[in-house]
Amino acid sequence: MKVTAHPSADSLLLVLDGELDASSAVLLDSELVKPGLLDYRKVLIDCAKLSYISSAGLGVFISHLQRLQDHNVKLVFFNMQEKVFNVFEILGLDSLMTIVPTQAEATAA
Amino acid sequence: MRQRLSFCSLVLAVLSWGLLLLGTLGRAHAVPGLAGWPRWGIILAQAVFVLFVFLYQRGRPDPLQGYDFVGLLRRLVRGPGLIAAVALALGLLERAAAVARLPAGGPALLAVVYTVNLGLFVVFLARTNYAWRSLILFRSTVRLRTEWALFEVLLGATLLLRLLSWHPPATVNTVVFTALALFGAYLGTNQKWVAYLSRRQKWQAVAYELLLLLGLLVFVQYFRATRFDPLLLAPEPQGAFLVLTAFFAAFYSVTGLLVTFFNLPTARVHEQRRAEVLSLQRLTQIIQRGQSEAEIYQTLLDAAADTAQADAAWLDVPAENPAGKTTAATEYYYKVSPAEATLLRDALAHYRLSGVNFVNNNLAEKPALAAVAPHYRSLVLLPLHGTQHRYGTLYLLKRIPYGFDPEEVSVLRSFTDQTVLSLENLTLATLALHNQRTQEELKIASEVQDSLIPKNLPTDDWFEISTHSLAAKEVGGDFYDFLVLPGRRLAVLIGDVSGKGVTAAFHMAQMKGIFHALMQGNPLAKNERDRFPLPSRFMAQANAALAHCLERSSFITSSLYIIDYEQGGFMFARAGHCHTLYYHALREEVFYFQSAGLGLGIIRNEGYEKHINNQFYDYGPGDVMVVYTDGIVEARGAGQEEYGEDRLKLRLEECYYQEADAIKQFILNDLNAFTTGQPIHDDQTLLVIKFKAVQPEPAA
Repeated sequence: MKVTAHPSADSLLLVLDGELDASSAVLLDSELVKPGLLDYRKVLIDCAKLSYISSAGLGVFISHLQRLQDHNVKLVFFNMQEKVFNVFEILGLDSLMTIVPTQAEATAA
Repeated sequence: MRQRLSFCSLVLAVLSWGLLLLGTLGRAHAVPGLAGWPRWGIILAQAVFVLFVFLYQRGRPDPLQGYDFVGLLRRLVRGPGLIAAVALALGLLERAAAVARLPAGGPALLAVVYTVNLGLFVVFLARTNYAWRSLILFRSTVRLRTEWALFEVLLGATLLLRLLSWHPPATVNTVVFTALALFGAYLGTNQKWVAYLSRRQKWQAVAYELLLLLGLLVFVQYFRATRFDPLLLAPEPQGAFLVLTAFFAAFYSVTGLLVTFFNLPTARVHEQRRAEVLSLQRLTQIIQRGQSEAEIYQTLLDAAADTAQADAAWLDVPAENPAGKTTAATEYYYKVSPAEATLLRDALAHYRLSGVNFVNNNLAEKPALAAVAPHYRSLVLLPLHGTQHRYGTLYLLKRIPYGFDPEEVSVLRSFTDQTVLSLENLTLATLALHNQRTQEELKIASEVQDSLIPKNLPTDDWFEISTHSLAAKEVGGDFYDFLVLPGRRLAVLIGDVSGKGVTAAFHMAQMKGIFHALMQGNPLAKNERDRFPLPSRFMAQANAALAHCLERSSFITSSLYIIDYEQGGFMFARAGHCHTLYYHALREEVFYFQSAGLGLGIIRNEGYEKHINNQFYDYGPGDVMVVYTDGIVEARGAGQEEYGEDRLKLRLEECYYQEADAIKQFILNDLNAFTTGQPIHDDQTLLVIKFKAVQPEPAA
């Protein structure tokens, strides 16, 4: 699992590469706990190379959801593989989080 | 046998000595009427006497007991040494009598004293030589034993030589004599036993050997003096044999003396090595007895200070703060006051020696140290380095300069290494104990969890149920439960707590508690139907209850089904749990229920209820409901691909007509074939509920 951060003026782009499980969840969490994160208007998550997400991986997003909402930071997922989207959908997260097909839509959202 | 031989030798020796006395007296014409013996008779008696004394001595038990070399020498000095004293006294007595011209004196007294002394001398030599034999043969080789036997035989031969009337030429005599003396000298170099003496014992050995030599000197002096006494008419004694054995006894004493003497400086080293070995053993034993760190540190300090003969020493153990356990800094002192140690410690801090081995044998060079403690001239500083961290630092001081040689420092290093090893062993042992406890606790948790899973499945004539559950670890996060509600209704709950292990199991137990509490029924409800919450309401209440205790990153997925026989239908709510697989008998179709619903613990406020809803469905006879957790559909095959919803659906299409148990087994067999050789990543739970093909008439 690799997490790469690309900050820009008002948004932070996180590119996820590999399987997000209990061991790699720590990596992602360390990106999301950074206090500077709340200064962005949007956090974009590129899921193109995210091949698997375990419940521990979902837990990381869930644990930060409330905090981001409270600070008006929008969490947007894009380029999500169908298999991964399925996991979000089964858990009902698609109704809570913004999941869009492309980066363009994510930027516009 | 041996005892009898020994006894015979003794008797014969005494007899032959008696004869010898008679013969000598006869030759001196000291006693009237006693016939003078021929020369050969006396020589024969002498030879027989010598032979049997030696044989008797030879047959006695080994005078060396274990490693008691000093004891052997002491007994030798007390026995033959006393003999020499008696000989000396007799010699003096006889001299005095001769000088005083006492009537009792004269040739008779001389002859008696001479014979007695000769006898004593022979006994003295026999005792000494056989004591030397024990020392020479101590830890000897077979070759050395053969050489010794040969030496004995050759000496015996010289006895015989004297008996023959043939007198070899002087040159041959000298050659044989010298060769034997050299042989004895060669044997005399075997002084292996000296190495086993401690310093103190060596001094004792030297003293005893000197006393023995003195005894020998007394005899030699006596025989030299009487040899040319005109009054003595006895033939000269068994010269060659006695001279050779006397030479051998003396030579061995002298070499022993020299070896011992020149070994003395190394004796201290040997003793020190032995003390070091003992200290190391003590250190090792302490850990084996499972004692505390404090005892290990104290032993190290004592052992190091003793061995190095330090004038002052202390050991600093810094404060530790590993997870869960905090220990204060501790110091151990040896012949130094804490105040003085603090002074020295501060002075040493000046040189930044923390964590390094440091030896200084001339502290006068270090002004900061010399200022606070001018009386110390040598210092060794040894940190105790473990694989993970430093346990402490050992300081040793001496008042003399150049007090620590490299060898000593290396021994001290082996002490500290051994200590570190002991300390790490202790940590490991504690850890192992802790792990064992954790394992036991896990086992208990696993047993508790197992007791939470329903063993007695509900039965009725309108459905059948088959269940399967397998935890990936000792305790898992999957759960399911049933409750039979009044009015022929059945509540089925399934769930999966995110994460695994004890925490997950704890939340699972909590969920079971919530299920039983909410499904007890509300006695204030207006009608029977309203006494139990709708599945969506149940999920909202469960979400509210869990909100307070579930960790922020944990959530639970769950589905609740309430199946109503009288209505011929069921309602359910899916809170983020896997989709329900269903076989519709009438339409001969297998499908997944598609419904939305958010997992529990994701939204922890009133807003949750918006994200959950109920679904109603009428079931028909022969319908099959398959309820499972993601451990089934996310199980990995050899190529890391997932088992998947599609494959599960295909399997049900092949086996829906069978009984619930058979359907479950069919799916599990396929799952196991798919995951062969792969470890189980997640708990697996599978419930199969089949509505019987022939439904009994509902009660009126």
